[in-house]
Formats: sequence, structure tokens, C-alpha cells
Amino acid sequence: MNAFLYGIGLQFKLDIRSKSLLITCYLVPLLFFAIMGGIFTSLMPEAKDTLIQSMTVMGVSMGAFVGVPPSIVEIYGTDIKKMYHANGIPLSFGLSSLIISAFIHLLIMSGIIFFTAPLAFNAVIPSDLPLYFGVLVLFIIVSLCIACVLGLMVKSQAKLTMYSQIVFLPSIMLSGIMFPADLLPAFLENTGRLFPASWAYILLSQKETTFSNFLPLLLIFITAFILSGLLLKKARAE
Amino acid sequence: MEHAIQISGLKKSYGKTEVLKGLSFHVEKGEIFGILGVNGAGKTTVLECIEGFRKYEHGKITINGKAGIQLQSASLPAYIKPMEAIRLFTKWKNTAIDTSLLAALGINELKSKKYMELSTGQKRRLHLAIALTGNPDILFLDEPTAGLDIEGRISLHNQIRQLKEQGTTIILASHDMTEVETLCDRIAILNSGNIAFIGTTDELASKIGKKYQIKVLTESGEDNYTADNIGDTMLAILENYRSKSINVLDIKVNRGTLEQHFVDIAKGDFL
Repeated sequence: MNAFLYGIGLQFKLDIRSKSLLITCYLVPLLFFAIMGGIFTSLMPEAKDTLIQSMTVMGVSMGAFVGVPPSIVEIYGTDIKKMYHANGIPLSFGLSSLIISAFIHLLIMSGIIFFTAPLAFNAVIPSDLPLYFGVLVLFIIVSLCIACVLGLMVKSQAKLTMYSQIVFLPSIMLSGIMFPADLLPAFLENTGRLFPASWAYILLSQKETTFSNFLPLLLIFITAFILSGLLLKKARAE
Repeated sequence: MEHAIQISGLKKSYGKTEVLKGLSFHVEKGEIFGILGVNGAGKTTVLECIEGFRKYEHGKITINGKAGIQLQSASLPAYIKPMEAIRLFTKWKNTAIDTSLLAALGINELKSKKYMELSTGQKRRLHLAIALTGNPDILFLDEPTAGLDIEGRISLHNQIRQLKEQGTTIILASHDMTEVETLCDRIAILNSGNIAFIGTTDELASKIGKKYQIKVLTESGEDNYTADNIGDTMLAILENYRSKSINVLDIKVNRGTLEQHFVDIAKGDFL
């Protein structure tokens, strides 16, 4: 347990030292928030109602889909995996430390948006805070599970960029955070529903907090979790 | 006496190709044992089977003691610092940091550097330090000095000798025959999945013959000879020069290196 906790703390520090994760988990999402927050609220004053939610969905999606998978490939697509195995570190440690550390970073980034948006842009704070943070935690976990699948499935960094964008771009463009999803053609609206960002945005906005809106997130989580387990097992056998 | 490693009837195939054809050998406790072989001889496969990285179809491997492994191709996260890496592996092995070992390997000097900023030699030293955390009884070294400069090689050789003096059993795989000859007590030469030779380097040299190379410098130039028996051959050579009234200016005698013998085996001259 001591070794595991030290590993988590170390991974958290390494993530801060690694500029790429710092950029994708903090710099870009918060810059996007600073610029687009101003634009959105100036052009559409009603955007203040969902600014925290939309910027958080964007930031979590960017950090999880673009920032985390390269770090997974750095371990599981290189000799680090062999080094860990040869020296008594369980293979699952690399993944679990990365995910827990990324979870904390994404939570901090979401917290910065949550606390600064009302001050900077008069953004409206969600009315049901336990529900908001509950959904946020679930959304981060689901997104990180998808990041695991991407990082374990694709061994090359070049290919990974393409696959990450295949997940990231629809999450942003079709989830309703940039413009209302019901304005999209039915095909694109339905495609958007395949990604957790759409469901997370609905639930974070507290428009329709029904079980049927939680269910897709849970199904995506279970599928990604099982896939990650299978891919980790495959990596162990390689 | 219980051996450090005992291998019997080890067989391993990749598809229909049998890479190891029933190897049997042992490694004595406290010795430095070299594994040699040309590419495709099965050297890496046998090492990975012993280390537990590779499954095998037939045979038995017994390891008596705690093992430490220094891989040929190893890596660590780019931004990790040496002491952080040492601490991480030490904690997972549930052991304490050996400060004297870190000092001997010069790890303390690397404190402020990140892994990606280390030279090849510094990385090798760090990998060795990690392999040695937990004081292993048996140490596997795969091409430990590959990519090192002369100074780095000498330093690492001294470290390996010191470990042997402390009683650590060392299994060394290397392409550098001079290194193997300098360090190893016994060697095994693999050829097409079989053991072509196992024993000391002296035994190998005497088995192959042409043990000595003799260079004689005279007024008229340099002559080269090879000999199995240095005494008789030298007498004959000197008698030959004396009878021809040629002045001998200098004589140099060298024992054939392991490299020469290894090349003979690899070429099949010995087999």
C-alpha cells in the first residue's frame, strides 16, 4: 500500500513535470475557458447558465482523450513495461497510477473553472451541487476508462493522435456544449450520443436528471472498463 | 551442493521452429556465468525463460535465491529522477535504500537530472542500481556495457567484480567476448539451440588448441607463430633462428582470445 501511494504521488509530480499533460489538462482547457467564456457570454447572455458545465466537459474531454493516452503508451508501448515487470512492479500499477493522478488533475482543473467562472463571467452556479459533483466524478471516470482503451489499444504515438481526435472532436462538436445538439441533423445528433460528453453535459446542466440519462454513461463505463481489462491482460502476455 | 540455477531439458519453440533443443546446465553459487551465442543461437530466449519473461514447452528451471534483472533494453518514464526511481522500486520490493551501493554506482551525482537527460552510461548505472535493490542473490545482466565508453565499462566491470566478491551469482549475456573473458568464471556457448561448449575459458582454449600466438621480431622483420605447447615451440623457434644465424630482437607471446575461439565455434570449425 505504501509503495502504491508513493507511486501515485510520484506520478502526480511526473504529470506536472511533463509539459504535454500540463498543456492538455490545464493550459488549453483554461485558456479556452478564458477566451470562449468571454465570447460566449457576450454573444449569448444565456450561455452564463451552462458556462461552467460546457467548459468543464471540454476540459475533461481534452485532458482524458488527448492528454492521458500518450502517457499510457509511454509505459505500455515501450520498455518501461518490461522494466516494471522485471523489478517486481505489477503491470496494472502503471495504468492505475496514471488514471488516479489524471483524475486528480482533471478534478482540479474542473474546480478552477467552477470557482472562477462566476467571478469572471457571472456564470450561474449549478443548483444541485452534490448531483453536479457526482456526475462530474462519473464523467471523469468514464472518460479516463476510454483513455485507457485508447492508450492500451494503439501502440504508436502517431496513430494515437488520430484515434484520440476521433473521440475528442465529436465529443466537443456534437455534445451540445458549443451549440444546442437539437440544432444538428438527426444523424449527427445521434452520433454525438455515442460519446459520454453528450450525456455528461445533459446531466451536469441538470436539465433532465433521469436514470435513462445516467444509463448510457454507465454502459460506456462498463464497456470501456472491460475492454481495458482485456487489453491489460493482453499486454501482460506480450 | 545446491546450485544457484539448475536447468534441465529446456525446450522452446516459436511456431514450428525449435529454438532451444533440450538445454541442461547449471550455474554455481557465487560465480560469474557467461552466456554466448551468435544471433539466433537462442541466447536471449534461454535468458528470458530463466528470468520468467517467456514460457517454455518442456524442461525445468530451478532458481535458488532472489533474482535481480538488468535488461538490455530497459527504460523509465522520461521525467523521473534517479532517486525517485530508486525509491519507487525499493518500496515495491519492500526493502531499504542501500546508500553505499548508490554511492559506488555514482547515482547520488545524478540527483537533479531527469531520466531523459541521462547519458547511456548513466542510464545503465541506474538500471543496475534498480536491479540491485533488495540485495538479490542472483543477478542477470544482459549486455550490461553496450553503448558505454571505456571509462564506463571499466567502472561497471569493477562493480560486477565487487558484487561477485560479495557472493552474488551473476549471469552475464554479452556479445563482447573480451568482456566475457575478463569477467566470467565459466561460459556456455549456444549454437542453434544446443550448448556447443560449457566450461572455463581456459578449458575452451585448450580444447580448441592454438592457445598461444608468438611474434618474433628479428633484424629481417616480424614472424608469427601459433602453438599449443609454448615450451617446446619456443625452443624449436629459437633453435631455428640460431641455426640460421639470425639475431632475435624481441619475442611477444599472447594467449589466443576467447573471441578467436568463439569465432571458430560459430564458424563450426570446432564442432
